[in-house]
Amino acid sequence: MEVPYYPVNEFGPAIKGMVIGGLGIFHVFLAQFAIGGGMLMCYFQWLAQTGRCPLARTFLDGYFKVLVLISFVLGALTGVGMWFTTIQISPRTIGVMVDEFHWVWATEWTFFCLEVVAGYCFYRCGKNLADRSRMTLLVLYTVAAWFSLFWINGILSWQLTPGAWVENRGIWSGFFNPSFWPSLIFRTIVSLTIASLAACVVINTMKTLARDQQRELINRVSVCLAPMALMPVLGYWYLAVIPEDSRSWVQGGSAAMTMFMAMAVGASLLIGLYAVVGLIWKKLFISGATATLLLALAFGATAGGEFVREGVRKPFTIREYLYSNSIREDEVAYLRETGSVAADPFPLRDAAAYPDDQLRLGAKVFRFQCSVCHTIDGVNGLTHLTGTWTLAQKRMNIAQLQRTKPFMPPFAGNAEEVEAIVQYLDWENAGRPDEWEATHSPEALAEIEVWLDDAGTRPGTMAAKKPGSSENVRAIAKEAS
Amino acid sequence: MDRLFPFGFPGATAFYLGLYVLTLVVHVLFMNYVLAGVGYLAVTAIGRRRDGDGLESVSIRSVLTDWMPFATSAAITAGVAPLLFVQILYKKNFYTANLLLFHRWMAILPLLIVGFYLLYLLKTDWIRRRSRTLLAIISIGALVCFAFTGLSWTENHLLSTDKGSCPGLYESGSMVYSHPQLLPRLGMWAVGAIPTMCVLVAWQLLVAQRRGRVVESGRTKHLAVAALTGILLTGACAGLYWLRMSEPAREAVTGPLAGPYFIAAIAGLAIQVIAWVSPDRRNDCQIGVLLALSAELLVTITGMTVVRETIRLAAVDLNPLYAQHADAAAKGGLIVFSVFLLVNVGLMGWCLRIVSRNGRQALHSRNSA
Repeated sequence: MEVPYYPVNEFGPAIKGMVIGGLGIFHVFLAQFAIGGGMLMCYFQWLAQTGRCPLARTFLDGYFKVLVLISFVLGALTGVGMWFTTIQISPRTIGVMVDEFHWVWATEWTFFCLEVVAGYCFYRCGKNLADRSRMTLLVLYTVAAWFSLFWINGILSWQLTPGAWVENRGIWSGFFNPSFWPSLIFRTIVSLTIASLAACVVINTMKTLARDQQRELINRVSVCLAPMALMPVLGYWYLAVIPEDSRSWVQGGSAAMTMFMAMAVGASLLIGLYAVVGLIWKKLFISGATATLLLALAFGATAGGEFVREGVRKPFTIREYLYSNSIREDEVAYLRETGSVAADPFPLRDAAAYPDDQLRLGAKVFRFQCSVCHTIDGVNGLTHLTGTWTLAQKRMNIAQLQRTKPFMPPFAGNAEEVEAIVQYLDWENAGRPDEWEATHSPEALAEIEVWLDDAGTRPGTMAAKKPGSSENVRAIAKEAS
Repeated sequence: MDRLFPFGFPGATAFYLGLYVLTLVVHVLFMNYVLAGVGYLAVTAIGRRRDGDGLESVSIRSVLTDWMPFATSAAITAGVAPLLFVQILYKKNFYTANLLLFHRWMAILPLLIVGFYLLYLLKTDWIRRRSRTLLAIISIGALVCFAFTGLSWTENHLLSTDKGSCPGLYESGSMVYSHPQLLPRLGMWAVGAIPTMCVLVAWQLLVAQRRGRVVESGRTKHLAVAALTGILLTGACAGLYWLRMSEPAREAVTGPLAGPYFIAAIAGLAIQVIAWVSPDRRNDCQIGVLLALSAELLVTITGMTVVRETIRLAAVDLNPLYAQHADAAAKGGLIVFSVFLLVNVGLMGWCLRIVSRNGRQALHSRNSA
């Protein structure tokens, strides 16, 4: 068995999840704006060409310029950025995703090309085209944009709910996974909402329009916010199909996850209420400031939702296949035998700063197994999390990591490595003194060995499954085979 | 390897190598247009003449200013496909280089965004009303952004072929990788972009002329001089690069794997020289000459892209990855991709037909009036 090792970078006091999450939220927001923007423009083109709203065309041409300037530049480049950032955070995850779904990605790329071509054709020539041609280009642009969501949604939802892929490794079993449809429909409505709120901001910036004209356009836009009424049902559907332990994180099992969930739900609720009562029912005018505030709320909701989507995968990055620290389920037992960093070719950058080899080993174990989600003393810092633990507690809690916290992966190393990281944490907690006595107590190592064996190599989430649940049956079957 | 690229490799590896080169050629076409185009805009912005800015006649500068944002978008979009296939082919080598260059590498993203917006800014009426100094600053700023991206890609590529240096570079904490081949290689690709830009702009000027627009006189001659200079400089950089290449790489380039492609690329360049000299005399680029130039340009780019890959293959051992390539090829989805590729290429053609039909109608009504 060959476990791949990569150079590991640090982001100062920030954890890697914050980096990928930050860019991811920004990119998702822009991408969904582009998708919803297409739908909104088709609707306005229809209003214009059927004579229902003569102002629609003026708005459409102005809105499209904003869409091109934001989506075609920032959206496209943050998309590429997501790829590069994922490589920085977890090259193994992106490697598996590319290996499994490269034809899906390639298919998405063909739609992306169509989106760019249709979009630029409209951008350059739209003003001089007949209504029918304008509508054709807009429909093609919208279909292409929505299908790019369709394809990427299959890959992203597969990470949390791989479905039958776990057994048969079939690409379509993974693609059309249990959370595919609720996620797709939900995201489609979110896209329309973001685009509609952005439209309200744009309408307010169109100074050539009188207030009544702006109001008329805003009233038309508000129709596109109506599908938000379906969000609670879709949210419930999504929660119902995700794994039981993931669901439990957002229902109080993890304070951070629950708070972010509440943030997403609360912000969506506020927008939805304003849209239904204020815009659709009372037909109120919405000022640029209010529209911007609502758009900011939508960004907050997106941020909360994306954080939850990423967070509930723990302890996996690809459920039942690859842990957050890029170690495969089947590699844990192997690394327990060989040691997790024995074959790591990358030396420590600050090897001279450690008083002995045991601490150097501990630092390497931290880098390989922990640093993707933890820092030493920054965000989610291990010195803060373990600072009050006794030595024996540290040994047991780390050896039985998946029991200590069920969203942690099992420790994937031998007893010497557990002892090394325990000593490393103690040394860090002690303020990195120049002298440190290495521990090689056979009794302590034997005790750690017992704890490691007792915890086993299965994830804690699986061990916590109710007897007879489908995942548990699968887990038992896999172990038996 | 004693067979022509990519036929000597196992089926799956050959398939992905072929796809990689094919998609990279498309990316290189747009990338060359952008890189050389931005260079031209920067040079002409600091030059004496303002080359058609805002004038009624069509000039090289006005064409480039008008089309540069789209070309950048197309280059980025076209770049996604080879980026996908390079990950399947080289996996760890590619990822490790990305990780080692870290912030230095990731800096290409904000810089590309800045460069992209600067190109949009060059299109605005606002900039036309401003001083020449500001125009020059913006043009040079865009060039710096794209040049840095080119430098970073070259550095990343060379590092991905130098496995032995990786642990040491990581330990040092440096995000800069220096290599004797870096500058000549970068120079070869950068100045090699000029002939591509010249051919594509020549087509654009021809189309504009046929649509009844007035094209500034002497533009074809100008393009010919630029293209010939580009070819000459490419040859000089390629010579220097050759001198700094390893012996196995030279053997691979001239051997049965890439030798025929290498010869085709050089022949393509030679024919381009002849074709450019021809319109240079008449000061008018005819469609036949442009077709010949385009065909030879494509031959040169394809040949050089294969040569580029061969140099990498001489440094990276693909043998251990054959099984993984075969495994990836066994995944489903190829048929779905093929179907949607055809459908979407057809739809893209439909989009272009809609706007070109509209362009013809507009020309017809102008002529009637």
